[in-house]
Parts: sequence; C-alpha cells; structure tokens
Amino acid sequence: MIIASERSKRPDDFRPASPEKKAGGSVFCPFCMGNESKTPPEVFALRENGTSPDGPGWRVRVVTNKFPALSPGAPPPKSYKGVFQWMPGVGVHEVIIENPDHDKELSDLETDHIQDVLRVYRERIRAIEENFHYQYVQVFKNKGKEAGASLGHPHSQIVATPIVPKRVKEEVYGSERLFRNNKECIFCRTLREETTLNERLVLRNDRFCVITPFASRSPFEMAIYPLRHSPFFTSEGDTELASLARVLKTVLTRLKALLSDPPFNFILHQAPNPTVSQRAWPGIEQYFHWHMEILPVLTKVAGFEWGTGFYINPVPPESAAAYLREAHK
Amino acid sequence: MKKILLVEDEKPLCLLYEEELSAEGYEVTSVHDADSALEALKNKTFDLIITDIRMPGKNGVELIAQIMGLRKDIPIIINTAYQSYKEDFMTWAADAYVVKSSSLTELKAKVRELVKD
Repeated sequence: MIIASERSKRPDDFRPASPEKKAGGSVFCPFCMGNESKTPPEVFALRENGTSPDGPGWRVRVVTNKFPALSPGAPPPKSYKGVFQWMPGVGVHEVIIENPDHDKELSDLETDHIQDVLRVYRERIRAIEENFHYQYVQVFKNKGKEAGASLGHPHSQIVATPIVPKRVKEEVYGSERLFRNNKECIFCRTLREETTLNERLVLRNDRFCVITPFASRSPFEMAIYPLRHSPFFTSEGDTELASLARVLKTVLTRLKALLSDPPFNFILHQAPNPTVSQRAWPGIEQYFHWHMEILPVLTKVAGFEWGTGFYINPVPPESAAAYLREAHK
Repeated sequence: MKKILLVEDEKPLCLLYEEELSAEGYEVTSVHDADSALEALKNKTFDLIITDIRMPGKNGVELIAQIMGLRKDIPIIINTAYQSYKEDFMTWAADAYVVKSSSLTELKAKVRELVKD
C-alpha cells in the first residue's frame, strides 16, 4: 500500500460537484412496495402479520436474482484441459431489499430496522450454508453507481460459491500463519493494539470496534470488528446484532455527512461454510475473526493497482479516523 | 388483431421483425427511439412492447422505467444483442429478456406466451 501524503486530500476534495441524483418519485422501481410482481418470488421476508408473500406489507424482502451470476444446482464436477480447470456456475445469488422506501438508505433507517437487515443476512447465510457444497457465502452491498449499484433502491446481495474464493483463502491462511507465530488471533491482537494506540480508532461500543485499517487501500476505508472473538457472523445473537446496527448507523451517517453521501462497497468477511471450515482448516475457530469492511469509492483502481496489487491512498488512515471521529460534532 | 409496439433503431431489423410478426398475425407499429415509443403509447393501445436497449437518446432501460411509470399492464420484451444489461435491476421490470439471434424462434415464442387472447 502506498500512502501518498504529497497527494494528501481533505474530505472536501472528495465531495462531488453535484451529488448523484436518486431515481425516486415517479420513476418505476422493481424493488419498491407494490411492485413485487416484477421480482422473482421471495425466498424470505420480514413482513406484517396477515400479509401474503409477494405482496405489500414487508419490511425486509429477499428474492433470488432474476439473472443470477450463479444458479442453484448439484455439486459441480471440475473439468480439466491441460493446465486449465473450470466448473459449471453453480451457486446462489439473492438480493436483499432492505426496506420498502426507495429513498431511505441503510443509514436513514431506525436502528431496529438495520438490526432486521442484519438478522436477515444471518438467516439467509445459515439457510444457504445448510448445503455444504456452497462453500462460501458472500454478503455485500454496492451503494451508488460508482460502486456498482444499478438501482438506487437500497439493497444488498448474497452470492454463495461452490469453492472458497482466492482472497478468502489468503485471509484464512494468513491468519493461520500469524496465529502460529503469535499464539493468538491476529485480529484480536490488532484490536488490542489499535485500542491502546488510539490513532485509527473511529469508535467503540460495548461489543464492536471500528477502525480505519493500517495501510488502508482506499480513503476513509473502515473495518468493523466484534470485540468478542468469533469466526462466524452467524453465531452472533440478536443482542450483538442490535449493537452492530447502532455502530453501522453511526459510521454510515458520519461517512455520508463527511463526504456528501459517497458511493461505497460494504463487505462481510467470515470464515467459509462451517462444515467446510471444520474439515479443511481444523482450528479455524481460534484464528479467524469475522468482520465487515466499508470501502468508499473515491479513487480509481487503474493500471498500477491492477499490475502490482498495490493501492495508492491519498488519505492516511490516521487522518481519516480523526475526521470520522469529529464528523458527528 | 393483437397490436405490438416495436422499438428498434436499426431500420432493416425493424422490417424483418415486422414481416415475421405480421406473418404470425400481429399488427406491428415500429418506432426507432424511446421518445417516439412514449408518444405512440399516448395515442394507441398495445398488447405488447418489444424494445431494444442500445438506441440513440434514451436507452431501452430508461424507456421501460418510464413506461412503468405510466402503465404496468402491457407486457414488455427486451430484445437486445447484449447479455450485460441483465446486471441492471431495472430490466427485471420487463417480462422477458431475449438476446438477439439470427433465428427469431425465441422471440416469437415469447410473443406468443405474453400476448394472450
């Protein structure tokens, strides 16, 4: 990572000249309440008593992607030709519509509604992981066109893959190696040191901690960690999710205020499907620590980044943390 | 006779679709951009809309959003050369997504399925 202090920028440098317009009001949206017939049938929903699936009255709604990147199916066999290996695109691709109101972003929702969105993440991951051939379940959110969202209505996505992705494997192997060297979870140790140093700490409550990671890839990148060691997001109870919802609301609101509602990606990192993890990485429960990453899209990933894997970040994470701590005052 | 509004900027393709769909017993009105399609919808009722996506001016996805704002009861078929628009959630508003090919078999089958007597 390159922290380009000579290119150093302040939050105002990232404010858009004209904020992205939202397609609300009269323009049609297939995710809005009343348009349920325009989506595939719902696979899960939190809805008012007495209301019917695929009708109005929902609070959070999950549908399969009409044009999925991966489709459900039997465990796929691998094919080989020389050095090349491939397999059919089997998996799960779902869309979580976070609320019925087109213009209410995640940070605008009441904390109990954000908790509901998190509960839905947890329930869908648990359900998908019952099929052990879905080895990894990725929850993510693209907010804003620059971050990859094609529709303004707030939504997240779940993609379950039949293999553990390379980046996740690298994180698992890296944390295993550091556990062997340090005799403790590297994430727990990092949190302890970040709390002591207090240079990159954005906030901390009774159960969660938010930091701007050392050597952040992008300006104002944040990571949210549970203080209690746990490899699986799915093992968090409702009390923990309520606490996480408060933290998410706080940091997303600050990000929005500080940078004029920037596009961002939000990613959940957790250990692979427990059935797979227990077989492939015995002891993973000791060294992997689930977390969330929030990556504002404020710089471009271009030739240098693709070529080297390095990122150039013009905002030192220590400065970003200071701005984010002050943003609510 | 069931009426189809065809939105397609390539005029030779329009002629081909008109011939093929007329032979199937449909009355086809062709327009070559989104604004003309919206105008046609104000003046006439249709049983089905077939729209391209990449067109000069508003694209087909924007057109669908506007049609849905006006009326949601007319079935819509997206007929495009590109798969990539499937990543745009607004295309969910259409009732079918057909990728253009030299054979019109799939398009005709979707038309038959969506235009009910």
